[in-house]
Amino acid sequence: MIRIKDFCYWYPGQDQPALDGIDLEIPEGQFCGVVGPNGAGKSTLCYALSGFAPHFFHGTWEGELQVGKRDVPRSTLGELAGEIGLVFQNSFNQISGARFTVREEIAFGLENLGLKRKEIERRVEETLALIDLEALAERSPFALSGGQQQRVAIASILAMQPKLLVLDEPTSQLDPRGTQEVFKILDKLAGRGGTTVVLVEHKLEWLAAFADRVITFSQGRIVLDGSAKKILADEKLLKLGVGQTQFTQAAAAVQKKKFIPRSRPLPVTLKQAQKFFE
Amino acid sequence: MHGTLFVSGNSGLHRLHPLTKLALTFLFLVFAATLPNLLWLLAAFVILLVPMSAWGGLLRPFLRSCLVVITPFVISLSIIQGFFTPGETPLFHLAGFVLTGEGLLAGLTVASRILMALGGALLLMLSTRPDMLMLALTRSGLPGSLAYVVLTSIQIFPRFQERAQVILEAQQARGLEIKVNIFKRLRLLVPLMGPLVLSSIVDVEERAMALEARAFSRPGRKTSLLALADSPGQHLARWGLLLLMLALIGWSIWRAISS
Repeated sequence: MIRIKDFCYWYPGQDQPALDGIDLEIPEGQFCGVVGPNGAGKSTLCYALSGFAPHFFHGTWEGELQVGKRDVPRSTLGELAGEIGLVFQNSFNQISGARFTVREEIAFGLENLGLKRKEIERRVEETLALIDLEALAERSPFALSGGQQQRVAIASILAMQPKLLVLDEPTSQLDPRGTQEVFKILDKLAGRGGTTVVLVEHKLEWLAAFADRVITFSQGRIVLDGSAKKILADEKLLKLGVGQTQFTQAAAAVQKKKFIPRSRPLPVTLKQAQKFFE
Repeated sequence: MHGTLFVSGNSGLHRLHPLTKLALTFLFLVFAATLPNLLWLLAAFVILLVPMSAWGGLLRPFLRSCLVVITPFVISLSIIQGFFTPGETPLFHLAGFVLTGEGLLAGLTVASRILMALGGALLLMLSTRPDMLMLALTRSGLPGSLAYVVLTSIQIFPRFQERAQVILEAQQARGLEIKVNIFKRLRLLVPLMGPLVLSSIVDVEERAMALEARAFSRPGRKTSLLALADSPGQHLARWGLLLLMLALIGWSIWRAISS
């Protein structure tokens, strides 16, 4: 699905690349988490995957970046819009402002794609049901909570039926309930098998519970890559400034006091932690 | 509907094509500019605008909005024109100034012209969804980006007011005194406008990206979830209204020349 080979990207006027020699393959339907300290290149990866780097930010690039059969840096944003969806952290800024109800907001992207009204109606209804927004369909997007607005933002992108959904810290401004709503949707999408999800996220407990794979970035490079459970238990994350899940931290502290043997692998999810402490 | 005057309904007025209603609004504007005196203007308002608002089931919100908008004009124009327009019928003396009948009539005439023009615009806004109007205009050739700017300003402007309030409260929490005289209040705009403008600039970039992610600048034909009902009769009516407007303007020019 995603094939990146020796990809580098420089923002305009910068000598240091924001992405430096990225090699990455992500198969279709995988739920892939991306972690790393601030300035590591996570957001730039999102922009590169969706074509905003270089098409929106300009700058220079080299290497290969393909999503499906689409050569992303050589395609226009208009061509990419229906195939690769990008969701940002600020839910308010993703509301178009040009539509008055949630239903019409979800239809906005489909209207821009020039789909027929019947098809727009069908996709909007399908997406409302998928994201569980039917009860809010006639409400103003501006009258919703942050979590609900983020769900509308995701729904608006999903209605365009992208093959790849890229999310840049979509839960950073949400409370635990809003975070749970977003993760449940992503789990449902990746679970259906069709949509590949790339999610930049600092809330490691949630990644541990839902992601198939975690990639760690530092200084524009991939430094760790593997299954979510393996990577999130890795002590190197602490040195990289990413941190660890609360479960891992608690277990590591107990292991340090030698109450539990060091041979036992550190937990990253609640279930694993329960087993660990039993 | 959030941030608009639109009152939902299914009346004949609501169902009219937005361009037909826009043509009527322009006709009322032409009436406001060309009808010769107060009597004609008030008659047009009562015979045309009031029944139309009743047809749309909008009589109460229409009259209430007219009253709210026109009252300050009636008062200010009556005073200014009444005291400062020369006339031969004194009605009232105040501190050496004389309110004349001719001046009062001139003030009321200007106010009724404003009432006529505003009434037409109000009727359009009360009975037409802004996005429907913009859709009709874009289909008639208005650039989509311009329609977007109009629609977003309706909804996003109140959000900027909310943000300004949040910034103001944050500044107050840090000791900024706002209950001060007018000159000091003007100086308060600096700590308010700085964060407001800067945060808005940051927002613009993200908002532009969000629009691009939804194929906003994609070339090619755009469609709409909204359905616009039109008919040959309405199409003809719009041409008729245009001709009527031209005739009224011509009549007004002829009257001006002949007098």
